[in-house]
Amino acid sequence: MVETLAAVEIRDLVKDFKTSFRRKPLRAVDGVSIRIMPGEVYGLIGPNGSGKSTTMKALLGLVAPTSGQCSIFGKDSLKVDSRNDVGFLPENPYFYKHLSGVETLRFYGKLCGLGGRKLADRVGELLALVDLEGARDRRIGGYSKGMLQRIGLAQALIQEPRLVILDEPTAGVDPLGSRQIRDLILKLRERGITVFLCSHLLEQVQEVCDHVGIIFQGRMIREGRLDDLIAIEDQMEIVLRNASPELISKIAALVKDAPDAELVRTGKPRTTLERLFLREIRDEER
Amino acid sequence: MSTATHIPQKGSHTGRILIIATHAFTQLVRMKVFYFLAIFAIITIASNFFNLPQHEGPESVGTNVLSQIKGWSFGTMHIFSVVLSIVATALLLPKDVEDRTLYTILAKPVPRFDYLAGKLLGVMLLIFISLALMDGLMTLVLQIRTSMVAKEQMEMATTLGWPQREIDALRAETFSNGPSWSMQGAVIAVFLRASIMASLALLISTFSTSTLFTTIVSFMVYFIGHFQADARDVYLHGGQAGEGMIAKVTSLLFALVLPDFQIFNVIDAVIQGETMPIIALGKLTLVALYYAMFFTIASWFIFSDKEF
Repeated sequence: MVETLAAVEIRDLVKDFKTSFRRKPLRAVDGVSIRIMPGEVYGLIGPNGSGKSTTMKALLGLVAPTSGQCSIFGKDSLKVDSRNDVGFLPENPYFYKHLSGVETLRFYGKLCGLGGRKLADRVGELLALVDLEGARDRRIGGYSKGMLQRIGLAQALIQEPRLVILDEPTAGVDPLGSRQIRDLILKLRERGITVFLCSHLLEQVQEVCDHVGIIFQGRMIREGRLDDLIAIEDQMEIVLRNASPELISKIAALVKDAPDAELVRTGKPRTTLERLFLREIRDEER
Repeated sequence: MSTATHIPQKGSHTGRILIIATHAFTQLVRMKVFYFLAIFAIITIASNFFNLPQHEGPESVGTNVLSQIKGWSFGTMHIFSVVLSIVATALLLPKDVEDRTLYTILAKPVPRFDYLAGKLLGVMLLIFISLALMDGLMTLVLQIRTSMVAKEQMEMATTLGWPQREIDALRAETFSNGPSWSMQGAVIAVFLRASIMASLALLISTFSTSTLFTTIVSFMVYFIGHFQADARDVYLHGGQAGEGMIAKVTSLLFALVLPDFQIFNVIDAVIQGETMPIIALGKLTLVALYYAMFFTIASWFIFSDKEF
C-alpha cells in the first residue's frame, strides 16, 4: 500500500537559542513531532512563549533546528524549493506601507514566478476571496488590523499553495474581522488546502481545526483528533427544540428506570458571547 | 468550490532579483529621497553666482566659474551618493526584519542571496538614476555657462588686441573646463564609490542589530578608507614592520578587505579641467566590482545562516 505523503512532517524537533555568555542555551522547542496529512486543519495551541512560533519558523526554514527534521510534502524545510507549496502569514504582519493592496499581491506573486494575465486574474480572485476589492488601490498604510490580516492571508495564498501556515491569524482583530478570517480558513479547508495554525484563542481553534496539538514549555503534551480529545466518553448530549415540561419529565423518568444511566443536567443551551455580538451587529446593519 | 491546483514555479534568480530591486527602488522613491534633487538644482544654479576672491588675471575669471560649478556639483553628488548608499542600505534590511515583511518574503521560494542582491541593486539603481539626473542638470548648466564665458572672453581678448594664437589657446582652455567625456567618467566614478559603500553597508547590516550601528560603522570605514593607503605606507616603510613577508601579506590582506578611496581622487583632477584616461576609469570599475562582489558574497555567507 502506498503511504500518502504528509503535508507537514516534523520529527523530534529541538531548538536551542543562545543566551548571554556563560548561561545555558534556552530550549524553545524540545523534541516536538507533528505529522499533518493533506487536507487537515491542524491547530497548535499553547500559552505565550511555549514554542509555537519557533516550531513554525523551523518549518519555514527561518530558523535552523538544533536537532530533528522538518519537511513539507517530503521536501527538507531548509531547502528553498520546499517553499513552493507554502503560504505563510506571520503574527501581526506589517506589509510595505507604500504599496496598495493590488501592488502587494502582485509583488508576492512575481516573487513566486507568476506574471501576466495569470497573476492579474489571481490577484482579482484573492481580493474577492478576502473581501478587499473595495480597498484594492488603497495604500496598506491605511489598512485596519483586520484588513492587514486578510491581505496577509491573500499573499499567503498567491501561488495556490497546498499548505498554509498561519501564526496567530486572529490576534488583535475585532470579533467581526476574526469571524471573517475563520470563515476564510473554513473555505480553505473546503478547497482541500492543508492549514497549520497556531493560536492561544482556544474557542477559535476548536471551531476550525480537526486536529490539535497542545504545546507547553517547548514540549508536545497532547495531540490528536479534536473530536477524540474533547469528547466526554461516558456522556451523551440530546438537544431538543420546543420541548414541553411534560416531555422533559417523561425523558427524566425513562432515564431513572434505566440501569447505570444518570441525568446529569437539563436546561437551555447557551450561545457564545461572540455569536450574540455578531448577530446584534448584523441586525443593526440591516 | 474548486480544489487547490498547484501552479508550477517559473521564477528565475535574475527575475526575482529584479523584482526585489524594483521594489526597493520604489520604496526609496516613495520615501521622497528625490527631494534631494531639488536641493542639488538650487546648489548647481547658485554656484554660478558665488564670487570667490580672484588672484589671477581677468582671463581666468570665466574658467574659475566653470570649475566652481563643477566643484559644487560634484561635492553635492559626492555627499548625496555616499549618504544615500549608506543610509538607504542600512535602513532596508532592519526595517524588513522589524516589520516581519522579511518573513513573508523568505517564506516564498526566494533564496536569501536573491533577496540581498535585489536590495543592493535597488539602492544602486536609485543612486544611478539620481546621479544621471544630477549629471544632466550639471551638464546643461555648464554648457550654457561655458558658451557665455567663451563669448565674454573672446570679446575681452579681441578688445585687448590679443594675437589669434592666444585667443585660440584661451578658447581651448575655457572649453576644457566645460562639459566633457572626462566629466561623465568622473560621475561614473562617483557612482562606483557609492556602490562600494552600499555593498559595505549591506555587509554590516547583515550582522548589526540596528540601523544606527550600521550607519556609524559604515561612515567610519569610509573615512578610514581615505587614509588606509597612507597608513599601509607608513606601516611598511616607516615603522617597525619593515618590508618583511609578513608585513607585506598583512598589508595586502588589509587592502583586500578595506577599500582605498584615495584612488577616486581622479574626480578632483577632472574638476580642475584635467582629462580622465579611459584606463583610469577601467581600473576604478574593476576595483569597485571587486569590492562590491566581495562584500555581497560576505553578506550572503552571514545572511544565509541568520535566524529570524
